[in-house]
Amino acid sequence: MSEEMQMDTLAYSSRMLKWAPLGKFLFVIAVLIVNIVTNSMMVPFVTLAIGLVLMAYSTNFKIPFFVALALAEAVLILAIGCGMISITGDKADPAIWDTNLLWFDVYMTHDSFNKAWLVMFRGIAGMAVMMSFATSTPIPHLSQALKQVHMPREVSELVVLIYRYGFFLLERLDAMWEAAHCRMGFNGFMNTMKTTASITVGIFTSSSNLADKAQIALDCRNYQGYFPIYNAPPKLGIKWILVTVAAVALIYVFGIYTEGWIDMTKLFFGGSA
Amino acid sequence: MKECIFETENLVYSYSTKQAKPSLDNVSVEIHKGVRTAILGANGAGKSTLFYHFNGIFKPVSGTVKYMGKPLEYTREALTELRNDISVVVQNPDEQIFSATVEEDIAFGPMNMGMERDEIERRIQESLFKVGMEEYRERPTIQLSYGQRKRVALAGALAISPKVLILDEPTAGLDPQMSQEVIELVEQLCEAGTTVIISTHDVDLAYAWAEEIHVLIHGDLVYSGEPEPFFDDHEKVAMTGLVMPHTFSVNSSVQRICGREVAPYPRTNSQILCKMLPEGSRIGKIRLVPVEDSLPDVPAEGLPTGIYGAITRRLFRAAGREPDYHFNAIEYCLMDAVGGKDSVLFCDAPMKDRVLEVIGRMEAFGKKVEVVM
Repeated sequence: MSEEMQMDTLAYSSRMLKWAPLGKFLFVIAVLIVNIVTNSMMVPFVTLAIGLVLMAYSTNFKIPFFVALALAEAVLILAIGCGMISITGDKADPAIWDTNLLWFDVYMTHDSFNKAWLVMFRGIAGMAVMMSFATSTPIPHLSQALKQVHMPREVSELVVLIYRYGFFLLERLDAMWEAAHCRMGFNGFMNTMKTTASITVGIFTSSSNLADKAQIALDCRNYQGYFPIYNAPPKLGIKWILVTVAAVALIYVFGIYTEGWIDMTKLFFGGSA
Repeated sequence: MKECIFETENLVYSYSTKQAKPSLDNVSVEIHKGVRTAILGANGAGKSTLFYHFNGIFKPVSGTVKYMGKPLEYTREALTELRNDISVVVQNPDEQIFSATVEEDIAFGPMNMGMERDEIERRIQESLFKVGMEEYRERPTIQLSYGQRKRVALAGALAISPKVLILDEPTAGLDPQMSQEVIELVEQLCEAGTTVIISTHDVDLAYAWAEEIHVLIHGDLVYSGEPEPFFDDHEKVAMTGLVMPHTFSVNSSVQRICGREVAPYPRTNSQILCKMLPEGSRIGKIRLVPVEDSLPDVPAEGLPTGIYGAITRRLFRAAGREPDYHFNAIEYCLMDAVGGKDSVLFCDAPMKDRVLEVIGRMEAFGKKVEVVM
C-alpha cells in the first residue's frame, strides 16, 4: 500500500470520521491560535495533551511510518530553529552564556532561552493537534466541508478529482519506477536523470489518457456536471461552536493564571541565571 | 420476430479527420431485445467505439443509430433519458469509479437520475447484494482489490436498473472464479429481462454464453448471427484475429476422430462429454432445490452440492455451509450426471426455469438428465 493510501486508510478507520469536518477544523484552529497567543509554558502542554487524547481516541496512535518520520524530521528542524532563537538573545539583557563560535556570536539570555523552549513546545503541541485532524478527516470530507462554507463548487470538486486520480497516477508512477529499475534505468547519475525525465513524461501522457477515459465513463453514468454526495458528513453545529469557545476560554484563562509557572532557565541553569 | 433494441445503419465514425480508414466503416447492425449478444473482435477492431454509439457518447460522422426504433437525439435531455436506460461497465473499473467509498460510488448514477433517498438506499443495498459486496459498503474504493473494484463498477451500473447492460471485457483481469461469478450475475440479469451485450475477445466466453454474435475487424462488421456458422468458417476466424473456441475445436476433432456428426454443436464440456458417451451409460440425476427466503432443509446424503444465484449464495454463507461447487455449479452438476453421479443443486427460485432449460439442453446431445425436485 502506498504511503498516501496508508494515511487515507487511517482516516477512514478513525473513530472521529463521522464528526463534522468543519467542527474539527474550527476546534483545531482555535486551539492552535490560543496556543500561540498565550505566553504560559503550560498552555502548549495542555494543547499537546488535547492532541494526544484526540489521536489516541481517533486511531490509537496508529501513525504510518512515513508520517512518523516526517514528524521526527519536523521536530528536528524545530529543535534547530529553537536552538537559533535561544542563542540570539537581546544584547541589552544580561547573558547567561556569551561566547564566539567561529564567526558566530552566541548570546543566550534568560528570555531567549525561555522563548526557544516555548516555541518548541508550541510547535510540538501544534503538530499533535493538527495530526489528530489529518488522521481523522479524509480528503472527500474536507471537500464537503469546503462546500459547506460556500467555496465554489469547482474548487471542492477539483479537490476530489485530484485526490481520486492522484492515487492512480501514483500507482502508475510506482509501476513505471519498478519497471525502470528492472531494466537498469537507474544505473549511473545521467541514466537516472534520463529515466526520471522519461517517467515524468510518461505520467503526464497517462494522466491525459486517464482524463479522456474518465470523461467518457462519467458521461456513461449520466454525469450532470457535479458530483452528488449521498452521505454528506455532518455540518458544523452549535455544539461544535460551544465546545470550541469553551475550550478556548478555558485554555486562555489557564494560560493567564499559569504564566511564569515554568522557567526553563531556572530548570537548566539553576538559581544562577 | 425479434424486436430490435439497437439498430445502426451505415454507421461511420472517425476519431480524427486524418484517419486513413474510419474506426467504424459503414456498420449496419441489429441488436435484439432480450437476446444474449456478444460483440467480438481483436484489440482495436472497434467494439468499444460501437457500443459508445449506443448510449450516445459518440455521435456518428454519418449514418444513424436507433434505440427502440427511434433515431438517437443528441440533446442533453434526450441523452440523459437514454443513459437512464443503458448502463455501460467499462473494462478498467478505475476509469469508472469516481467516489471515495463504495456506497457513494453506487449512489452516483441514481443520484444523477434525481431519485429519492429511500429509493437510492434500496438500490445500493440491492446492487451490493447482487455482487456479493454488502460488507464492503463503507470501504474506501482505493482500498479494494481489482476484482472487488470490478464488482463495485458492476454494482454501480446495476443501481440504475438499466434496460440494457453493456459490459466491456467483463472478465478481463479477473480470476477464473470471479469470472464465473460475473457470468452467473449476467445470467440472472438476462433472466430478469435485461438485455445484456458483452464486448469481448474471449471467444470461449462468447461461444458458451451468447445467442448472437457480431464480429468486427478494423472497423468493418464481418459477421452477424449465431456463433456456429462463424466459427465453422476457419478462414474468417483467422482473418479477424480470433481463434476457435475450445469446445468448438474439440467437437470438430471428435467429428474427425470418431466420425460423429458435427451438429448439434456443444457449447460446454458437459455437452461434449454427453455427445461422446457410449449407449447405455448411466446418467446421474440432479436434485434441484429452489431457494426463496430460507435454506430448505434438504439432506445432501453425501452427494456433491452446488449453489447457483445470489440469494442461495448468501444463505449458504450465513448458515456456514460449504458447497462443493461454488461457481459454474450447473455445469459441474451436469458433468457429474454425465459421469453417472447424482448431485444436489440449490438455486435461486427465480432462476429455476433457467436451470431447467440448461439441463434440458442435454437431450439434444443424446442423453436426458433427470431432474428431481
